[in-house]
Amino acid sequence: MNGPSPPATPSALPTVLRSLTSAVLLDRSGDVTLTRETRGAPVDWGGVYAQHVRLCGPWRVDVELEGTEYTLPATLSSASVDGDCYDSRHRLGDVELRQRIVPLPLPPGAVRELRLETHGDRALRLVVTSRFEPFLLPVLVEGIRPVAFELESRAAELRLRHRGFAASVRSSEMPSRLYVDRASWRGGRRRGPVEELGLDYELTVTPGRPVDLRLALLGGVERDLDRAIPHGELPVPDPGTVALGLAAEEAAWLAGRPTMELPDAPELERAYGLARDALRRLYSRPTDGMTGLVAGYPWYSAIWCRDLAWMLPAVLWLGDFSWAAASLATVFDFQATHEIELLAAEPGELPMQLSPGPVFLFGTSDTTLYYPALVRRLLRHAGDPTAVARWQEAVARVLAWAERRSDPASGLFRHGGEAEGLARASGALARVRYGIDAPDTTIWDSTDRREHAIDLQVLWHDALRAAAELPAARQDEFARRRLDARAERLATTVRSAYVWPEEGYLYDSLRDGRPVRQLRPNALRAVSAGLLAPEIARAVVRRAAADDLSASWGVRTLATGDPGYVPDAYHDGQVWTIATAWAADAAFAVGDVELGLRYLRTIASRYDAESGGANECYRGDRPEPFDSCFLLGFSVGPFLTVLFERLWGLAVDAELPRLGVTPSFPSTWRRATLERLRVGEGVAGLRWEDGRLTVRWSGSRPLEVVTRTDRGLVAPAGRLEVAAR
Amino acid sequence: MREHRISSLLSLVRQGIALEVGFGTRSLEALVDLAETVEQSVYAVGSLVRTETGLACLLANPPLRVGAFRALRASVNAQVVAPERLRFRPGPGTAWRTAATLGPERPLLLEPGRATELDLGGVEPPPSGRARVRLELESVAIPPLVWVEFDDEVGPPRG
Repeated sequence: MNGPSPPATPSALPTVLRSLTSAVLLDRSGDVTLTRETRGAPVDWGGVYAQHVRLCGPWRVDVELEGTEYTLPATLSSASVDGDCYDSRHRLGDVELRQRIVPLPLPPGAVRELRLETHGDRALRLVVTSRFEPFLLPVLVEGIRPVAFELESRAAELRLRHRGFAASVRSSEMPSRLYVDRASWRGGRRRGPVEELGLDYELTVTPGRPVDLRLALLGGVERDLDRAIPHGELPVPDPGTVALGLAAEEAAWLAGRPTMELPDAPELERAYGLARDALRRLYSRPTDGMTGLVAGYPWYSAIWCRDLAWMLPAVLWLGDFSWAAASLATVFDFQATHEIELLAAEPGELPMQLSPGPVFLFGTSDTTLYYPALVRRLLRHAGDPTAVARWQEAVARVLAWAERRSDPASGLFRHGGEAEGLARASGALARVRYGIDAPDTTIWDSTDRREHAIDLQVLWHDALRAAAELPAARQDEFARRRLDARAERLATTVRSAYVWPEEGYLYDSLRDGRPVRQLRPNALRAVSAGLLAPEIARAVVRRAAADDLSASWGVRTLATGDPGYVPDAYHDGQVWTIATAWAADAAFAVGDVELGLRYLRTIASRYDAESGGANECYRGDRPEPFDSCFLLGFSVGPFLTVLFERLWGLAVDAELPRLGVTPSFPSTWRRATLERLRVGEGVAGLRWEDGRLTVRWSGSRPLEVVTRTDRGLVAPAGRLEVAAR
Repeated sequence: MREHRISSLLSLVRQGIALEVGFGTRSLEALVDLAETVEQSVYAVGSLVRTETGLACLLANPPLRVGAFRALRASVNAQVVAPERLRFRPGPGTAWRTAATLGPERPLLLEPGRATELDLGGVEPPPSGRARVRLELESVAIPPLVWVEFDDEVGPPRG
């Protein structure tokens, strides 16, 4: 784990202002712009996003004052972000301009307020021009901006539409002129190509009397917009009031989340807060009946169900059971119950992506496998079997789907060909056909890991074990034993077929009956799942820590010595934060506390350097983000889960209720506390000091506390002290 | 053949019904809208025209992926366009480049909503007036090949 130090914090900060239904992406330059290297090229992701629909591209405001043109970035004197409110100050000759931008919860969108004030001795006439590129498409399709729109100007608004998506442009003052592609437009109705829309506002600023101009852009799904503004009447919201409402919502959410004090590791304590806050920024409820967390920003702002699966364990440890339950309900609502060739969906399969519309796409090999274990997690945390009973059939369909994809002889899960199926299905119908020649769709979906990647066997194993613990299996001993036996058979195959003696590691996959000799971090998942003999598990963790796989800024997707290693290849060399979290998890799992902490500190240092974010990925040869979302659930959710499950060593079973606490604190640590930990309907407070653990409990039934060397019962409203080395 | 077509249509109807029943009355409409948007927003339908040296067409958006592309290949009715005869530019008034000059350090840049003109030199326009064009692009960041293929009537040269 040697290498150069991470780079300094960048000065231009990619920023997400968000509500549960909307987001504004900007770079704090003064305009709603955000140029970000994307797949090797600069792409401007600045804009307003509502219900996962990108309403507009870059949104700029210019001011013409007595013959002089000013832009907001060129006149910026200060900028700050407080919660979800962006505040910037600008100096334009004798005029001071204060701007506030906030996302709107309902109707979704954003409002931009400009307060203009002159300290001169005379009235000034000026023209404010607001201009933006319309988009009106979900970010499901990363590179598309529709070429044609319908425009309609009404008394108080300009309405844009494109195939079920719509936006409403509103302002506190009537615009004096409208432009389409910089040519004057007298209003009315229009249909056709639109590159840019512009609106002029003529204002007079008098000394001592500030003028406010509010510009709002609302929208998303057209029918929802029509419902929200039935007659086109809606005052433009006050950004201050909106910001206060959003801040109150955030404060209420935070008040229910655990607090963690680690005085012997302040960097990890800080990282916990940053990761928790970052995860919260991904919460999304774009429309009724659709709840989850978006995968990331700027270009993954949809519910990607694989990414959601990596975030929900953290959501549960944060005690937000209702959000996790609603997220699971959303995903299961879109489970395919029949074959849908159009979407390349097989019965039992869960979607890859979701967005309002509803728009849902299938076509991954692994997403479906995560969900039985997530249902079990919800049961363990919330402790209510009736809450998960509604998904019994859905879980059974998942198992049947996976069984159909399993090799009858070996029992191994088989993957590959999903994207080809999608291209085939759509190609038969379309006049214009597209495809990405990806033969395989595991979590590293740009590389070919067919046919039996190790981490997919781990997922399949976990799904079987989880199903065996769910209420339906408990009531059917035969079914439970069958599931356990199936899981054990898989574990035995992993132990016998994947061990790579020459490397002290695991093969990445098996193909045509032969091992795929590639060193990837995915093998660490078998360690975390407890599938390996202890000495082999330790060897795998040690091997992963070698310089060819682990860099000082994280863990690579492929070892540097592999002939296929390319430092800037997305899944064949780049460092991924989620892989670093896997390495931490596995290191703690085999008892290598120092190594586990080193990985956690690597991630924590990224949060510090990146203002709480943690990039999706970095180059494999230097600590430089490349082709990377600046905020990704993958990069914060697993880190949080490792803190709870490995550093604190927590295990819950709220049905009993029981709390296991087997901390992995180094011998030099003296004290740690964890407050507001939800276990079912109760809340526990933990204080660990010099090997003694004190637990306070608010539940209505006694809580059993189990440590490595001790156990005891905490009475309701009671307190217990046990040994916890 | 006819039976096959009827069974395909029936399959489509069945899938449409399954979508509506399974996922709500708006799901089929939303998915069709999205598919048609994608179909109509990348290759500018009707832009395929004859030129003095072959054919030309227009991409209005990147196909599926954005970003930098180290390689671009094209074929017309399976006839490969030589890289040095395959030219592109972001729009009128900008300089043409050929696919032969592409590489990781000098990639083709594709951004949402930014059009790209393509000039497919050295290909013989088909006698029927209809052509199948296939484009293949290699990203500098993500290995799998991205491709787009379309059939269109070849129009007369632009004035």
